[in-house]
Amino acid sequence: MFRLDRRLFANFDWILLLLLLLICGMAFFSLYSATYPPKPQGMPLYLKQCYLLLIGFCGYIFLISFDYQELHSWNYPMYVLILLLLVVAFFLGKSAGGAQRWINLGFMKLQPSEPAKLMLVITLASYYSRNEVIDGYSLKDLGIPIILTAIPFVFIMMQPDLGTALMLGVIFVSMTVFVKIRLSTYAILGCCAGAVGAFGWLRLLKPYQKQRIETFFNPENDPMGHGYQILQSKIAVGSGEMFGKGYMKGTQGHLHFLPERHTDFAFSVWGEEWGFVGSVFFLSIYFFMLLWGLNVAMTSRDRFGMLLAYGIVMLIFWQAVINLMMILGFLPVVGIPLPLFSYGGSSLLTTLLGMGILMNIRMRRFQTSCAKE
Amino acid sequence: MARKIFEEIEEIPERDDDALDVLKRRLVVVSVIVMIFTALIIARLWYLQIDHGDDYKDLAFNNRVRIRQVAAPRGHILDRNGKEIVTNRPSFNVVLVREDSQNLEDVLKRLAGVLHEDTSELWKRIRDASGTAPHIPIVLKEDISWDTLAYLENHNQDFSGIRIAVVPVRIYHYGDLASHLIGYLGIINKKELAEADPEKYTGEDLIGKMGLEKLRENDLRGQKGSSSSEVNARGFEQKLLKNEEPTPGKEIRLTLDVDLQQVAESMMDQEDRAGAVVATEVNTGRVLVAASAPKIHLDDFTGGISTENWNALLANPKHPLINKVVQGQYPPGSTYKIVTALAALATGTVTESTIFNCPGHFQFGNRVYMCWRHSGHGAVDIRRAITESCDVYFYQAGIKMGVDTLADFARKLGLGQKTGIEMEHEKSGLIPTREWKLKQYKQKWQDGETVSVAIGQGYDLATPLQINMMTATVANGGKVFLPQIVEAVHESDGRSTDQFHPKLIRELTGMGKYMAIVREGLVGVVNGDRGTARAARIDGIAVAGKTGSAQVVKLAQYKGMKEEDIPYKYRDHAWFTCYAPADDPEIAVTVLVEHGLHGGSEAAPIAKAILMKYFETRLQAMAKEKEDRKNAKPAAPVTPGTAARP
Repeated sequence: MFRLDRRLFANFDWILLLLLLLICGMAFFSLYSATYPPKPQGMPLYLKQCYLLLIGFCGYIFLISFDYQELHSWNYPMYVLILLLLVVAFFLGKSAGGAQRWINLGFMKLQPSEPAKLMLVITLASYYSRNEVIDGYSLKDLGIPIILTAIPFVFIMMQPDLGTALMLGVIFVSMTVFVKIRLSTYAILGCCAGAVGAFGWLRLLKPYQKQRIETFFNPENDPMGHGYQILQSKIAVGSGEMFGKGYMKGTQGHLHFLPERHTDFAFSVWGEEWGFVGSVFFLSIYFFMLLWGLNVAMTSRDRFGMLLAYGIVMLIFWQAVINLMMILGFLPVVGIPLPLFSYGGSSLLTTLLGMGILMNIRMRRFQTSCAKE
Repeated sequence: MARKIFEEIEEIPERDDDALDVLKRRLVVVSVIVMIFTALIIARLWYLQIDHGDDYKDLAFNNRVRIRQVAAPRGHILDRNGKEIVTNRPSFNVVLVREDSQNLEDVLKRLAGVLHEDTSELWKRIRDASGTAPHIPIVLKEDISWDTLAYLENHNQDFSGIRIAVVPVRIYHYGDLASHLIGYLGIINKKELAEADPEKYTGEDLIGKMGLEKLRENDLRGQKGSSSSEVNARGFEQKLLKNEEPTPGKEIRLTLDVDLQQVAESMMDQEDRAGAVVATEVNTGRVLVAASAPKIHLDDFTGGISTENWNALLANPKHPLINKVVQGQYPPGSTYKIVTALAALATGTVTESTIFNCPGHFQFGNRVYMCWRHSGHGAVDIRRAITESCDVYFYQAGIKMGVDTLADFARKLGLGQKTGIEMEHEKSGLIPTREWKLKQYKQKWQDGETVSVAIGQGYDLATPLQINMMTATVANGGKVFLPQIVEAVHESDGRSTDQFHPKLIRELTGMGKYMAIVREGLVGVVNGDRGTARAARIDGIAVAGKTGSAQVVKLAQYKGMKEEDIPYKYRDHAWFTCYAPADDPEIAVTVLVEHGLHGGSEAAPIAKAILMKYFETRLQAMAKEKEDRKNAKPAAPVTPGTAARP
């Protein structure tokens, strides 16, 4: 498998790796501050993060070691495996009182819904590249992708994890719109989405989920609930002003006013401690990496590579946008992390694997498909 | 080598895949979308961090910093000899901090048992405070006993969220002593809060509501301290940022003498008397006693008086809410004869040898005015007229002078105007003149009215303090002092800021010899065989004074009725005002007993008791001297002849 010819080394995208390392470094520093002082019992989170990064980069190296075309053949077995994991997590969660979304692996708690996102990207990219329709997909052509999306969607909805489930929908829409669908299909899908949305609001959403959305529109109704979280996040970011309060000197985070300050609200800590300058610096690198990722898609040698790279970038992009908009008070509280920056093993590993695939595509941009043989 | 690889790469032909080109164009669009979102998020950051950074910084500061105000210990109030009248003691309140509380229902059940309270009462207090932030303590019970405190402290693990708050409360060492003068504290109300300095007062502060607690609020209050601590989101204090110790309130030392005040109040409390007792230093204006009866119970007022108690006070026919020392206005009655006598002498209307005949009544116009002694006093001069309080003499003197002359002297002696003492709602009394009547009633003054006014009836009204000041002025030979009750105000570090100085308001000149004549008459009142206040006589100390009975109503139906049959509220007020020692006056005492009928029998003994206390050491010394002399000459027989000399 490690038949790496020199061309692969020559095509290794150091900039892409450098950007990734920079982001992981900033995330690590911010995590250290956000979780300071460490809890007396158990391993400190920053140390855990070290191990996770180590594991993640091992996976990264593994994923660049073979041609991404192999993913075509791995796709469905992996898909089934992830579905199985989702089912296991679901039943474990049931027995733990409904709050559990993970499978305890001992060294980490695996949330199968995180790799499910990446899995869906790979699956859809594989499907759309294998089934190309020049004049746009009709509803009939979309049957299989819809089903492929709907199965994990339903499982994750049942956990219940509204944010992640919606993320699957966002991935599906991003990728499907990208490969071009027929105008008539848009109309039908739009109507269906509306109907499902209305039904979901009335019947499927749990009361607390509805409340989160309602709170967003009327924050004063719930000053200590989720409106409170958003407000505290805005206070944290806003009070950072131009240059921030300084590393480890954020009061909002250290005094626990910020909820979830090392996971979903990790960027609030960054904004508070490093201010506008630091935030813009971070965001520039972050979004430059995404643009670079789109460039990977643009230069990829085939449709699969392009769709795959695009899908991975979109997966990170939409999570980042939703997370940041929530932190900055544009969106209600949805449990979506900032990839690479929020603490969370499953999300970090998934994203690093995705970045590995991206590098893989980059490295093999000039190889013809036949190079595989 | 690398170059070669590159060249090799360049050689690979571009795939002419149309579909891929379409996707590439879309990727450009997607890149633009990514950039738009990036710009949007950065714009939002600008809005939050740069445009509104200051606002959020304030919010973050308020989030993390809790400023707790520490009440300053209120200043003490002492008497002239340094005896503590009002100080502070710590009171232990049981409070609930909701954010720390668990199993509230069980805790309250247990707590109710310990406090001997009903659970519903505790719930009511919690409900009343709903809407406040959960870290703000709710007071469940004030001022618990030491035993309860010890129990709660020892079992605090059973009472989650329950804490003990230490609050200073006023302690009244002499109960309700001088309650009208001292006053009480209460929670600041909206109106007071609106007028108060917002830097100094907050919504739950105590403020003086009455008496000196109110008038000297600024001295007694002190300066609040504050401690700023950093708190976390759960409200737990993390570290102290700043601590400013409170400055205790200033200590006020009164001119009042607790011992004398106690004598006065206990005398008034006997038989549930209503009225006022005032004693002042004749040569300084220091107030030694200022008692108004009935007293109010200060404890009823702490923490807000109940409607029930308040209504009872309002309905009480003895008007306990009125500080009768300065707010009670009574006809001065015969005590006013001091004014009439002085005026008559000073204007030359009478001389010390002028004699009027008193047949027991005086006819003026077509009306007959009675002397209190219906059988008459016969021929009286001014001294006897004062001593025996002959009405007819003063009717005639008054008529000769006219009401305006009388009023002029009355005002010079301090009547008909506020004395300016540091007490609330002082009344000015009333000294009528022709002009006053014309203005007030649009009627001409009737000379017959002068007859009544001359003996302190009719329109005349005076407060006990005014009568006392008049007495003091006569006693000291014409000096009108400002009556004062504050001897000194001490800063908490012991420096004195406001030391007592006698304030002379005015001095009546050229009246010395007339006052001397009046004083001789006043000595007779107490010490003469026919004096009206023989009950105030003290062996060894010459007391001089004047009695008075102030008619409340002039109703024919009570004429000739036995005094004890007249309903309480229609009985005459009893006055006695005096000074001692007569030859070198030090103290002036004035007693008014509402509906007490006779000054001589009702009011004079109260004044005597105060004087006895005031002169206690001197009287004891005299008694001892006497004893010593007796012991030195045990055999010396007392010859009956010398003792019986008339």
